[in-house]
Amino acid sequence: METLSFLLDGFQTALQPHNLLFAFIGVLIGTAVGVLPGIGPMSGVALLIPVTASMTSGLSPEQAAASSIILLAGVYYGAMYGGSTTSILLNTPGESSSVVTTLDGYQMARQGRAGAALAIAAIGSFVAGIVSLIGLVLLAEPLSNVALKFGPAEYFSLMLLGLAAVSGLAGKSMTKAWIMTVFGLLLSTIGLDNVSGVARFTYNISYLYGGLEFLTVAVGLFALGEVFKSILHNEMNEGEIAKIGRVLPTKEDLKESVGPIARGSLLGFFIGVLPGAGATLASFFSYILEKKVSKHPEKFGQGTIAGVAAPESANNGASGGAMIPLLTLGIPGSGTTAILMGALIMYNVQPGPLLFDEHPDVAWGLIASMFIGNVMLLILNMPLVKLFAKIIQTPTKYLLPLIIAISVFGVYAVQVTTFDVFLLLAFGLLGYWLAEHDYPLAPLVLGLVLGPMIENNMRRALTASNGDYLVFFEKPISLVLLMIALLWIAVPFVMKLRGKTVIINEDM
Amino acid sequence: MNKTADRIAAAAFLAVGALFMVESLRLSKSAYGSAVGPNVFPFLLGLVLVLLSIKLLFETRSYSDAAGEKPPRQYKKFLIIFIAAVFYAALLETVGYVITTFLFLVIGFQTMEKGALWKSIAIAAGFSLGVYGLYVKLLQGTLPSWPIWFQ
Repeated sequence: METLSFLLDGFQTALQPHNLLFAFIGVLIGTAVGVLPGIGPMSGVALLIPVTASMTSGLSPEQAAASSIILLAGVYYGAMYGGSTTSILLNTPGESSSVVTTLDGYQMARQGRAGAALAIAAIGSFVAGIVSLIGLVLLAEPLSNVALKFGPAEYFSLMLLGLAAVSGLAGKSMTKAWIMTVFGLLLSTIGLDNVSGVARFTYNISYLYGGLEFLTVAVGLFALGEVFKSILHNEMNEGEIAKIGRVLPTKEDLKESVGPIARGSLLGFFIGVLPGAGATLASFFSYILEKKVSKHPEKFGQGTIAGVAAPESANNGASGGAMIPLLTLGIPGSGTTAILMGALIMYNVQPGPLLFDEHPDVAWGLIASMFIGNVMLLILNMPLVKLFAKIIQTPTKYLLPLIIAISVFGVYAVQVTTFDVFLLLAFGLLGYWLAEHDYPLAPLVLGLVLGPMIENNMRRALTASNGDYLVFFEKPISLVLLMIALLWIAVPFVMKLRGKTVIINEDM
Repeated sequence: MNKTADRIAAAAFLAVGALFMVESLRLSKSAYGSAVGPNVFPFLLGLVLVLLSIKLLFETRSYSDAAGEKPPRQYKKFLIIFIAAVFYAALLETVGYVITTFLFLVIGFQTMEKGALWKSIAIAAGFSLGVYGLYVKLLQGTLPSWPIWFQ
């Protein structure tokens, strides 16, 4: 019952007029971001952090944190939904989690059923959003209670597990993913050491004392890296946009979609909870599952509505599920949640088991606002689908320079030094080069965000054990976590050796 | 997978890892009230990075040399925009936000595609003045306003 009253308090926070406005803006911008080719959820959320920081500057710290995270989360799941629009209408996925949607979605559009496909995607996303919210409400308290019993050694091992999970699944080469993770962790050690106060790797550059600003790195790597790629590869949005036609799905369409939506939502949610798996894998698996379950598997790929409903529900379910390890354990399972975590830390709100005790407004307000945001998304998207389709046609020649200008503005507005703007450009170049050669970027950001916490917990555990490194293996929970981490790395490795193909997450 | 690129990257990461290891040796080895000093964590990470880079170097040996035809890249466009962005950052504080942003955007739009100059100017002016007005006047944020010799 206690949870319920917390949830009601959360709704009180979320229903405040300014928070409703923030949720609305977030969902609206998020959908636009998802629709626009070239900006995915990660760069969208990163780009909006400085904007929200300035919008909430008049509020008290606690309220500002709640409002901004409400907006940013809105961008996150708005973008997940928006990505499907381009998949269906243009046959080009807005982000990688809607790649599978193109298979049947575009076929439906060619048959003149684009409206029905878009509507089912919206309904599926909505149902999945609600399912994952219920899961979040049910799991948040018990999980954070377990995590509260963790000491520094257990925490260190848990975070190692998180890193292992993400690195093990990201990108084409595991070596490259690990290099990026370790590189991110190393970058996080730049600046003043917060245990001893010693300046590390700063070389007397005063801008570096505070460490590399997470925002600068994230916007540079993701947003600018993408823009540089689009310019260099001359990626212009061409292609015919399919006519949308009738938006409301028929009764038959709805009937056919009930099963896929329900299965997709649940599957997506559970995959989302696992760190490292994420929305792309969820949509992929749910499509395969539907094909296996279906009585007419031959229809898949030729425009069956189940082929749209299932993956679209799954990717939204997964993005909801991914919030669970973030909020309860303080471990982001994907690039986008790592960026959300960075944003929370900027507001001095530390995600993790204590979040629900220390900042109940932020935690429950966010949960409640996700519910409201999902309702908004549904109301917004059914009638406005045609308007969003227009956004696709924004000429890239205006869009790309504008994204650079917005990035520069965002970084300068928060940091107020040109040093960070130069750093931003440098990370843009680095991000382009790394992504071009299959080095996944999300593990780098994850390492940068988790670095200080891993180090602190490691040093606290070692201090308690008088510098004995065996402490991580002597505590049972810590040992189990480390073993799982090891398995997570070893199993795909062994499978590769035996010649099996391992499914990986390419959006990471 | 690109053999040369991965070798360059592996060498670079090897150097970075080694640099962090060497530099962390110069850090203080103890911290008050703590058994492990600020040097341990970066040193270990540097070591892991070095080992991973060596692993990557070995992996590049098994890459096939099939160098596929590379699609053409728009290096000229990119360089112009990137250099413009560097100037944008360098002049931001002395010349002010509105003028630098306006100029950067006009150059950017025109580099992407020549023509429709008035439309470019209108969008650039709208964006730079709009952001400045919204952020500085309405939200009371800080941005360098106009050239310093103007004030």
